[in-house]
Amino acid sequence: MNDLDIPASQSTPYVSTRWEAGLVSMTGDSYPENSFEFFRDVIAWIEAYLAQGDMPLRLELRLVYMNTSSVKAMMDIFDLLEAAHAKGRPVRVDWFYDPRNERVVDLADEFREDCSFPFEIAPDGR
Amino acid sequence: MATIDLFQLREHFNESRILLCFNGPISRSLIEEIGNALKNYLQADNAQPSAAMDVFSVYVELTQNIRHYALAHDYDELQGSATVVVARDEDGRYLVQAGNMVEHADGEALLARISALARMDKAELKAAYKAQLRQPRAEDAITGAGLGLIDVARKSARPLRASLSRIGARHAFFSLCATI
Repeated sequence: MNDLDIPASQSTPYVSTRWEAGLVSMTGDSYPENSFEFFRDVIAWIEAYLAQGDMPLRLELRLVYMNTSSVKAMMDIFDLLEAAHAKGRPVRVDWFYDPRNERVVDLADEFREDCSFPFEIAPDGR
Repeated sequence: MATIDLFQLREHFNESRILLCFNGPISRSLIEEIGNALKNYLQADNAQPSAAMDVFSVYVELTQNIRHYALAHDYDELQGSATVVVARDEDGRYLVQAGNMVEHADGEALLARISALARMDKAELKAAYKAQLRQPRAEDAITGAGLGLIDVARKSARPLRASLSRIGARHAFFSLCATI
Protein backbone atom coordinates (compact mmCIF):
# COMPACT_ATOMS: atom_id res chain seq x y z
CA MET A 1 0.00 0.00 0.00
CA ASN A 2 1.31 3.44 -0.91
CA ASP A 3 2.09 5.86 1.88
CA LEU A 4 0.08 9.07 2.06
CA ASP A 5 1.58 12.54 2.08
CA ILE A 6 -1.27 15.05 1.99
CA PRO A 7 -0.25 18.71 2.43
CA ALA A 8 -2.34 20.84 4.76
CA SER A 9 -4.97 23.22 3.37
CA GLN A 10 -6.96 25.97 5.09
CA SER A 11 -9.52 23.45 6.33
CA THR A 12 -7.66 20.13 6.25
CA PRO A 13 -4.66 18.86 8.24
CA TYR A 14 -1.29 17.64 7.01
CA VAL A 15 -1.47 13.85 6.86
CA SER A 16 1.39 11.43 6.41
CA THR A 17 1.66 7.66 6.79
CA ARG A 18 4.82 5.56 7.11
CA TRP A 19 4.13 1.86 6.54
CA GLU A 20 7.67 0.73 7.50
CA ALA A 21 7.56 2.70 10.77
CA GLY A 22 3.88 1.94 11.54
CA LEU A 23 3.23 5.64 11.95
CA VAL A 24 0.36 7.96 11.00
CA SER A 25 0.79 11.72 11.61
CA MET A 26 -1.86 14.43 11.36
CA THR A 27 -1.21 18.10 12.06
CA GLY A 28 -3.42 21.20 11.90
CA ASP A 29 -7.10 22.14 11.71
CA SER A 30 -9.73 19.82 10.29
CA TYR A 31 -13.05 21.26 9.17
CA PRO A 32 -13.68 20.22 5.56
CA GLU A 33 -17.30 20.27 4.41
CA ASN A 34 -17.07 16.63 3.48
CA SER A 35 -14.93 15.02 6.18
CA PHE A 36 -15.65 11.45 5.14
CA GLU A 37 -14.29 12.06 1.69
CA PHE A 38 -11.18 13.62 3.19
CA PHE A 39 -10.56 10.84 5.74
CA ARG A 40 -11.49 7.96 3.41
CA ASP A 41 -7.89 7.34 2.27
CA VAL A 42 -6.50 7.55 5.81
CA ILE A 43 -9.11 5.07 7.03
CA ALA A 44 -8.36 2.72 4.10
CA TRP A 45 -4.62 2.91 4.84
CA ILE A 46 -5.11 2.11 8.53
CA GLU A 47 -7.49 -0.77 7.69
CA ALA A 48 -4.94 -2.22 5.26
CA TYR A 49 -2.08 -1.81 7.73
CA LEU A 50 -3.99 -3.47 10.57
CA ALA A 51 -5.20 -6.29 8.32
CA GLN A 52 -1.65 -7.64 7.86
CA GLY A 53 1.22 -8.68 10.12
CA ASP A 54 1.56 -7.85 13.77
CA MET A 55 3.64 -4.66 13.66
CA PRO A 56 2.60 -1.88 16.07
CA LEU A 57 0.72 1.21 14.90
CA ARG A 58 1.15 4.67 16.38
CA LEU A 59 -0.88 7.79 15.62
CA GLU A 60 0.95 11.05 16.27
CA LEU A 61 -1.63 13.83 16.31
CA ARG A 62 -1.22 17.58 16.49
CA LEU A 63 -4.80 18.37 15.55
CA VAL A 64 -6.12 21.67 16.85
CA TYR A 65 -9.67 22.44 15.75
CA MET A 66 -12.01 19.75 14.39
CA ASN A 67 -15.57 20.24 13.15
CA THR A 68 -18.13 17.64 14.23
CA SER A 69 -17.97 15.66 10.99
CA SER A 70 -14.18 15.36 11.42
CA VAL A 71 -14.77 14.21 14.99
CA LYS A 72 -17.10 11.51 13.69
CA ALA A 73 -14.54 10.37 11.10
CA MET A 74 -11.81 10.33 13.77
CA MET A 75 -14.05 8.19 15.97
CA ASP A 76 -14.20 5.67 13.10
CA ILE A 77 -10.37 5.61 13.09
CA PHE A 78 -10.18 5.09 16.86
CA ASP A 79 -12.76 2.28 16.55
CA LEU A 80 -10.38 0.50 14.14
CA LEU A 81 -7.56 0.87 16.69
CA GLU A 82 -9.82 -0.34 19.48
CA ALA A 83 -10.75 -3.48 17.53
CA ALA A 84 -7.06 -4.18 16.76
CA HIS A 85 -6.15 -3.60 20.41
CA ALA A 86 -8.82 -6.12 21.48
CA LYS A 87 -7.06 -8.70 19.29
CA GLY A 88 -3.73 -7.99 20.98
CA ARG A 89 -2.20 -5.70 18.35
CA PRO A 90 0.01 -2.98 19.86
CA VAL A 91 -1.59 0.37 18.97
CA ARG A 92 -1.29 3.78 20.56
CA VAL A 93 -2.18 7.44 20.14
CA ASP A 94 0.03 10.40 21.12
CA TRP A 95 -1.86 13.68 20.92
CA PHE A 96 0.31 16.77 21.35
CA TYR A 97 -1.16 20.21 22.06
CA ASP A 98 -0.10 23.81 22.40
CA PRO A 99 -0.31 24.53 26.17
CA ARG A 100 -1.88 27.94 25.44
CA ASN A 101 -5.02 26.30 24.06
CA GLU A 102 -6.81 24.14 26.62
CA ARG A 103 -9.69 23.33 24.24
CA VAL A 104 -7.47 20.82 22.45
CA VAL A 105 -7.10 18.88 25.71
CA ASP A 106 -10.91 18.80 26.10
CA LEU A 107 -11.26 17.51 22.54
CA ALA A 108 -8.58 14.81 22.89
CA ASP A 109 -9.80 13.80 26.34
CA GLU A 110 -13.34 13.09 25.11
CA PHE A 111 -11.91 10.72 22.52
CA ARG A 112 -9.71 9.05 25.11
CA GLU A 113 -12.75 8.33 27.34
CA ASP A 114 -13.97 5.86 24.72
CA CYS A 115 -10.62 4.14 24.08
CA SER A 116 -8.92 1.43 26.15
CA PHE A 117 -5.60 1.34 24.25
CA PRO A 118 -2.67 3.59 25.34
CA PHE A 119 -3.66 7.21 24.59
CA GLU A 120 -1.34 10.00 25.73
CA ILE A 121 -2.23 13.70 25.70
CA ALA A 122 0.86 15.83 26.22
CA PRO A 123 2.00 19.44 25.80
CA ASP A 124 4.04 19.84 22.65
CA GLY A 125 7.69 20.19 23.50
CA ARG A 126 9.09 20.44 20.02
CA MET B 1 -33.75 54.29 -5.84
CA ALA B 2 -32.76 55.67 -2.47
CA THR B 3 -29.12 55.25 -1.57
CA ILE B 4 -28.37 53.20 1.51
CA ASP B 5 -27.40 55.36 4.44
CA LEU B 6 -24.01 53.81 5.24
CA PHE B 7 -23.48 56.09 8.20
CA GLN B 8 -26.72 54.93 9.80
CA LEU B 9 -25.82 51.32 9.06
CA ARG B 10 -22.40 51.84 10.64
CA GLU B 11 -23.96 53.45 13.72
CA HIS B 12 -26.25 50.46 14.04
CA PHE B 13 -23.31 48.04 13.77
CA ASN B 14 -21.37 49.99 16.37
CA GLU B 15 -24.29 50.26 18.80
CA SER B 16 -24.91 46.53 18.49
CA ARG B 17 -21.15 45.85 18.93
CA ILE B 18 -21.08 43.82 15.71
CA LEU B 19 -17.57 42.52 14.94
CA LEU B 20 -18.44 40.83 11.72
CA CYS B 21 -21.50 40.31 9.59
CA PHE B 22 -22.31 38.68 6.30
CA ASN B 23 -25.44 38.36 4.22
CA GLY B 24 -25.59 36.53 0.92
CA PRO B 25 -24.83 33.33 -0.98
CA ILE B 26 -22.18 31.32 0.83
CA SER B 27 -19.62 28.88 -0.59
CA ARG B 28 -17.12 26.47 0.90
CA SER B 29 -14.25 28.88 0.26
CA LEU B 30 -16.22 31.86 1.57
CA ILE B 31 -16.82 30.02 4.86
CA GLU B 32 -13.05 29.53 5.12
CA GLU B 33 -12.22 33.14 4.20
CA ILE B 34 -14.75 34.68 6.59
CA GLY B 35 -13.56 32.19 9.22
CA ASN B 36 -10.03 33.47 8.71
CA ALA B 37 -11.16 37.07 9.11
CA LEU B 38 -13.09 36.06 12.23
CA LYS B 39 -9.95 34.45 13.74
CA ASN B 40 -8.01 37.66 13.09
CA TYR B 41 -10.73 39.90 14.56
CA LEU B 42 -10.90 37.74 17.68
CA GLN B 43 -7.15 37.92 18.09
CA ALA B 44 -7.24 41.71 17.66
CA ASP B 45 -10.12 41.81 20.16
CA ASN B 46 -7.84 40.01 22.69
CA ALA B 47 -10.21 37.07 23.03
CA GLN B 48 -9.00 34.18 25.20
CA PRO B 49 -7.68 31.38 22.94
CA SER B 50 -10.38 29.01 24.23
CA ALA B 51 -13.18 31.56 23.65
CA ALA B 52 -11.81 32.36 20.19
CA MET B 53 -11.83 28.66 19.34
CA ASP B 54 -15.40 28.24 20.61
CA VAL B 55 -16.62 31.21 18.57
CA PHE B 56 -14.85 29.89 15.47
CA SER B 57 -16.22 26.42 16.08
CA VAL B 58 -19.84 27.62 16.44
CA TYR B 59 -19.42 29.76 13.31
CA VAL B 60 -18.16 26.75 11.30
CA GLU B 61 -20.88 24.36 12.50
CA LEU B 62 -23.70 26.84 11.83
CA THR B 63 -22.50 27.95 8.40
CA GLN B 64 -21.69 24.39 7.27
CA ASN B 65 -25.16 23.33 8.45
CA ILE B 66 -26.64 26.08 6.24
CA ARG B 67 -24.55 24.88 3.26
CA HIS B 68 -25.53 21.24 3.76
CA TYR B 69 -29.19 22.17 4.13
CA ALA B 70 -29.20 24.29 0.96
CA LEU B 71 -27.42 21.52 -1.01
CA ALA B 72 -29.76 18.82 0.29
CA HIS B 73 -32.79 20.88 -0.80
CA ASP B 74 -31.39 21.91 -4.18
CA TYR B 75 -31.72 25.56 -3.25
CA ASP B 76 -30.24 28.06 -5.68
CA GLU B 77 -27.55 30.48 -4.50
CA LEU B 78 -30.00 33.10 -3.31
CA GLN B 79 -32.29 30.66 -1.51
CA GLY B 80 -29.24 29.17 0.19
CA SER B 81 -28.04 32.57 1.40
CA ALA B 82 -26.73 32.81 4.92
CA THR B 83 -27.02 35.71 7.33
CA VAL B 84 -24.23 35.61 9.91
CA VAL B 85 -23.47 38.05 12.72
CA VAL B 86 -20.77 37.89 15.38
CA ALA B 87 -21.19 40.53 18.09
CA ARG B 88 -20.45 41.20 21.75
CA ASP B 89 -23.22 41.59 24.30
CA GLU B 90 -23.36 44.01 27.28
CA ASP B 91 -21.42 41.53 29.43
CA GLY B 92 -18.61 41.21 26.89
CA ARG B 93 -19.67 37.74 25.80
CA TYR B 94 -19.59 36.82 22.14
CA LEU B 95 -22.86 36.23 20.31
CA VAL B 96 -22.73 34.07 17.21
CA GLN B 97 -25.94 34.27 15.19
CA ALA B 98 -26.70 32.56 11.91
CA GLY B 99 -29.86 32.29 9.88
CA ASN B 100 -31.11 30.90 6.59
CA MET B 101 -34.25 30.08 4.68
CA VAL B 102 -35.77 26.67 5.41
CA GLU B 103 -38.92 24.72 4.59
CA HIS B 104 -41.46 25.83 7.18
CA ALA B 105 -42.00 22.31 8.55
CA ASP B 106 -38.23 21.84 8.99
CA GLY B 107 -38.09 25.17 10.80
CA GLU B 108 -40.76 24.00 13.27
CA ALA B 109 -38.83 20.75 13.86
CA LEU B 110 -35.62 22.74 14.42
CA LEU B 111 -37.34 25.00 16.96
CA ALA B 112 -38.51 21.93 18.88
CA ARG B 113 -35.00 20.44 18.75
CA ILE B 114 -33.40 23.69 19.97
CA SER B 115 -35.83 24.03 22.87
CA ALA B 116 -35.12 20.40 23.87
CA LEU B 117 -31.36 21.15 23.80
CA ALA B 118 -31.90 24.40 25.72
CA ARG B 119 -33.48 22.46 28.58
CA MET B 120 -30.48 20.12 28.99
CA ASP B 121 -27.63 20.77 31.41
CA LYS B 122 -23.97 20.27 30.47
CA ALA B 123 -23.91 16.60 31.54
CA GLU B 124 -27.07 15.79 29.57
CA LEU B 125 -25.70 17.58 26.51
CA LYS B 126 -22.47 15.58 26.74
CA ALA B 127 -24.45 12.32 26.98
CA ALA B 128 -26.57 13.36 23.96
CA TYR B 129 -23.40 14.23 22.03
CA LYS B 130 -21.77 10.88 22.77
CA ALA B 131 -24.97 8.99 21.89
CA GLN B 132 -25.21 10.88 18.58
CA LEU B 133 -21.53 10.18 17.86
CA ARG B 134 -22.33 6.46 18.16
CA GLN B 135 -25.30 6.58 15.77
CA PRO B 136 -24.55 4.61 12.62
CA ARG B 137 -24.18 6.85 9.61
CA ALA B 138 -26.16 6.52 6.39
CA GLU B 139 -23.95 5.36 3.50
CA ASP B 140 -24.30 8.61 1.57
CA ALA B 141 -24.22 10.97 4.54
CA ILE B 142 -21.47 13.55 4.43
CA THR B 143 -22.34 15.64 7.45
CA GLY B 144 -21.73 15.18 11.14
CA ALA B 145 -25.21 13.66 11.22
CA GLY B 146 -26.85 15.88 13.80
CA LEU B 147 -23.80 16.35 15.99
CA GLY B 148 -23.40 20.00 15.01
CA LEU B 149 -26.33 21.49 16.92
CA ILE B 150 -25.51 19.51 20.07
CA ASP B 151 -21.91 20.71 19.82
CA VAL B 152 -23.07 24.32 19.46
CA ALA B 153 -25.38 23.90 22.48
CA ARG B 154 -22.47 22.50 24.50
CA LYS B 155 -20.26 25.48 23.68
CA SER B 156 -22.96 28.05 24.41
CA ALA B 157 -22.72 29.60 27.89
CA ARG B 158 -26.45 30.36 27.80
CA PRO B 159 -29.29 28.25 26.38
CA LEU B 160 -29.53 28.54 22.59
CA ARG B 161 -32.15 30.95 21.29
CA ALA B 162 -33.93 30.34 18.01
CA SER B 163 -36.69 32.02 16.04
CA LEU B 164 -38.69 31.40 12.90
CA SER B 165 -40.17 34.08 10.61
CA ARG B 166 -42.52 33.07 7.83
CA ILE B 167 -41.59 33.74 4.21
CA GLY B 168 -44.60 32.99 1.99
CA ALA B 169 -46.59 29.77 2.28
CA ARG B 170 -43.82 27.16 2.31
CA HIS B 171 -40.70 28.81 3.65
CA ALA B 172 -39.45 30.52 6.78
CA PHE B 173 -36.28 32.22 7.98
CA PHE B 174 -34.67 30.22 10.78
CA SER B 175 -32.30 32.05 13.08
CA LEU B 176 -30.13 30.68 15.88
CA CYS B 177 -28.03 32.46 18.49
CA ALA B 178 -25.28 30.99 20.69
CA THR B 179 -23.47 32.85 23.48
CA ILE B 180 -19.77 32.25 24.13
